[in-house]
Amino acid sequence: MGQEKYYSLKNVIFLIIIIALIFFPYVADSRTLTILMTQVFIFSILAMSYDILLGYTGIVSFGHAMFFGIGAYTTAILLSMYDNTMMIFLISIIVGMIFTGFVSFLVGLLTLRLKSHFFAMLTLAISGLFLVVAEKWRTVTKGNDGFTFRAPDLFRDRVFFYFFVLVCLVVAFLVLRRFVTSPLGKVLIAVRENEQRTRSLGFRTLHYKVIASIVAGVVASLSGSLYAISLRFVNTSVMSMDITLDALLMTIIGGVGTLVGPIVGSFVIEIAQHYLSGLANDYPIFERWIIFFGMLYILVVIFFPKGIVGTVYVKYLTWKSKKSRPQQPKQSVPLVKDKERLE
Amino acid sequence: MDLFINLFINGLATGMLIFLLASGLTLIFGLMDVLNFAHGGLFVWGAYSGIFAYTWSGSFIVGILGAIVTGFVLGWVTEKLIITPVYGNHVQQILITLGFMLVLSELIKVVFGPNGIPVEVPSYLAGSWEFGEVILIKYRIFIIFIGFVIFGIFQYVLKKTKIGLIVRAGVMDKEMVQVLGINIKRVFLFVFMTGSAMAAFGGMLMAPYSGVIYAEMGMEYAILGFIVVVIGGMGSFSGSLMAAILVGLAGSFMAYYVPYLSLAVNMILMAIVLIFRPQGLFTNAKEG
Amino acid sequence: MMNSLLKLDQLQTHIGQYHILQGIQFEAIEGEVSVLLGRNGAGKTTTLKTIIGLTPASHGKVMFEGQEITKRKTYDIANLGIGYVPEDQGIFKGLTVEENMKVAIRKETDEVCEKQAYILELFPDLKKFWKKAGGHLSGGQKQMLSMARAFVNDSKLLLIDEPSKGLAPIVVEKVMEAITEMKKKTTIILVEQNFIMASRIGDTYTLIDDGKTVHSGSMAELIGDEELKRKYLGIG
Ligand SMILES: Nc1ncnc2c1ncn2[C@@H]1O[C@H](COP(=O)(O)OP(=O)(O)OP(=O)(O)O)[C@@H](O)[C@H]1O
Ligand SMILES: [Mg+2]
Repeated sequence: MGQEKYYSLKNVIFLIIIIALIFFPYVADSRTLTILMTQVFIFSILAMSYDILLGYTGIVSFGHAMFFGIGAYTTAILLSMYDNTMMIFLISIIVGMIFTGFVSFLVGLLTLRLKSHFFAMLTLAISGLFLVVAEKWRTVTKGNDGFTFRAPDLFRDRVFFYFFVLVCLVVAFLVLRRFVTSPLGKVLIAVRENEQRTRSLGFRTLHYKVIASIVAGVVASLSGSLYAISLRFVNTSVMSMDITLDALLMTIIGGVGTLVGPIVGSFVIEIAQHYLSGLANDYPIFERWIIFFGMLYILVVIFFPKGIVGTVYVKYLTWKSKKSRPQQPKQSVPLVKDKERLE
Repeated sequence: MDLFINLFINGLATGMLIFLLASGLTLIFGLMDVLNFAHGGLFVWGAYSGIFAYTWSGSFIVGILGAIVTGFVLGWVTEKLIITPVYGNHVQQILITLGFMLVLSELIKVVFGPNGIPVEVPSYLAGSWEFGEVILIKYRIFIIFIGFVIFGIFQYVLKKTKIGLIVRAGVMDKEMVQVLGINIKRVFLFVFMTGSAMAAFGGMLMAPYSGVIYAEMGMEYAILGFIVVVIGGMGSFSGSLMAAILVGLAGSFMAYYVPYLSLAVNMILMAIVLIFRPQGLFTNAKEG
Repeated sequence: MMNSLLKLDQLQTHIGQYHILQGIQFEAIEGEVSVLLGRNGAGKTTTLKTIIGLTPASHGKVMFEGQEITKRKTYDIANLGIGYVPEDQGIFKGLTVEENMKVAIRKETDEVCEKQAYILELFPDLKKFWKKAGGHLSGGQKQMLSMARAFVNDSKLLLIDEPSKGLAPIVVEKVMEAITEMKKKTTIILVEQNFIMASRIGDTYTLIDDGKTVHSGSMAELIGDEELKRKYLGIG
């Protein structure tokens, strides 16, 4: 697409959305909506981190919840053991990140040699073990019952917390975008497209995949820490398969390999979940709202196989190329190859 | 010694139930390379529809037939609607089959109500034989017997019949099978329906064993099924049988001797196998 | 008596976004061996794959016995009596020779059983290694098994892709004998880089370059045409 300009359509849209989000808490009249949006941001961070694995490196992990869980537990445990100050909170984020970095390094070395299915199942097993540890190590985690703790006082203000999380999201987005457009990110994309070939070009693909796994793990830990704060409570559910599946689904629905996609996906899923379950109070059919939720997944795959952002992007490209070359004869070849993913 | 035998029988029976579920997955996941998370949904539907037919007719056999028919029909629907658009694409398979899984298990609640349903063993399979201290619960023996029979049938069909040959060939080289004049899509549809029917059958047999059925049991057992397929070696029936028995026995003994580890035992087993023998515990190089 | 069995008319094929075949003109006469010639990457394999439906044509027509089969599915085309022996032989590695044959046989009629017996006379090696796994056969044996599979049913047309590839001269000789024998019973389209072999068994030739037919005629003509051979085949 050539040089990106500062006033490119993408950046303008980006800016508009940021401004809208800044005013959102003042415009939205209910606290619930602010809290809901905060939740969207937190899961956006998690889903973006998952996209590094799924979208940019092409690996399906079933164990992402362990990194999220480590972050959540680290923050919760440190805040309840020491003071509930901002300082301790920030330290807990760092500690969580270092710890997940270490764990994802080890797990990556152990698992990333395996082929796709086996990798997925092994990550499932390892995160399953983490879940069991969280359940059994009751002295620290209180098991399935979990425990509440006091968040830093500043976070009592939901609007302040909203902005804090928003800043985290923007920073994570910019950092990750830098990461995927860096030479290192290019190698990851090459791994996704054809690992064999990338290896034969002399890249030690395992190293790159481990790096991707560390980056994804560390960012997931951040979202876990924020999640714990948002609830002021933690239990074993933060390590559960459901968290991984949420991240996975948000990424796919939004569009893999786009970074923006996971944010959109998280928005769609959280909002749909909120409203569909809300409708149940008024209309009895919606009591089983999860059915509609399941259908949403099915419809997305059938009608938006590249995810929402991916599909819109392809439409946009087609439209642009039509506009710029109106006299072109009809091409018998699709403009974007079926397998080609977006960057 | 008596305790040992009881735990052994117990574990074996559980293993066989897992095998029935996993045998469908062996076909679908192992042979056809489709990640079908809705498999657990078929298991639950088998259990519910089978029990419905059982209570309605009063005959356990009718119940089993009902479950199998449901499995076939749902298998057909799943393959046509859900799987066909996503052959060869794992990421989309995960999303669409998870979505379908949600639909299936919620529909259970719509049709049969949200609460669990208690189930009794049919009278002729109830009770137990006692030999001194050893108590053999009839229904468990029955399940073990059925498990071996099913295993035998599958082994025979795959190794000795033309359709089995075609399935094995199709897994090795889809294109070439078509070049030889075989409609591979139809073969895969048939395989998929059979796998689904096995899941439904497993669910039906599970019901009296656990004494109660509930909508969430699908996902729990589906994960066990995936674990067994991986431990046994993708696509290997004998591997799945051995792995299912191993998982069943490990669960039964661990629950008694080291209860705090029993939750983790499957995960540990799978992790060890994947790290040291990713091709599966029970496959030799030729089969794998 | 010059019955046209298969005809390709302005055939074009895309694979993904690539335009591979850009106009293939070809005709196979019943009972003859037609040879497809051309450099590496010219589109010979793709032509065969398009006939059998593995890479469906995007434009043009494939006519078989006067019927259009362009849009049909692979298995459908195969069932019309077209056998395909791919470049890599396509043996089911985990199945034995016997099982490979069994998958291929559509209906175990008396005729097919006779044909199988006849084929095993033709390829005694297959009989010898009847219970051996396909993956453990030698290159030549795989070639023979693949031809046997394509030939065993009542096949009206055989598509054979580079049967001499990677084989020792003595084995090539055996394969050639087999093809000469099969020629008595069926029509053959042969892709062959080995010009000596091609010129010995071919009746007609079609030269493909860059996805297009550039020449065709009787093999005898080509043998005499030094310039054409030099230009497109780099020989002579
Ligand atoms: N799946 C594919 N994707 C992209 N390009 C392809 C594909 N298959 C073949 N091609 C291209 O199509 C062209 C023709 O290939 P084809 O295999 O038909 O050639 P060929 O004449 O059989 O060559 P050879 O003598 O080397 O076997 C080549 O340039 C090849 O790179
Ligand atoms: Mg070729």
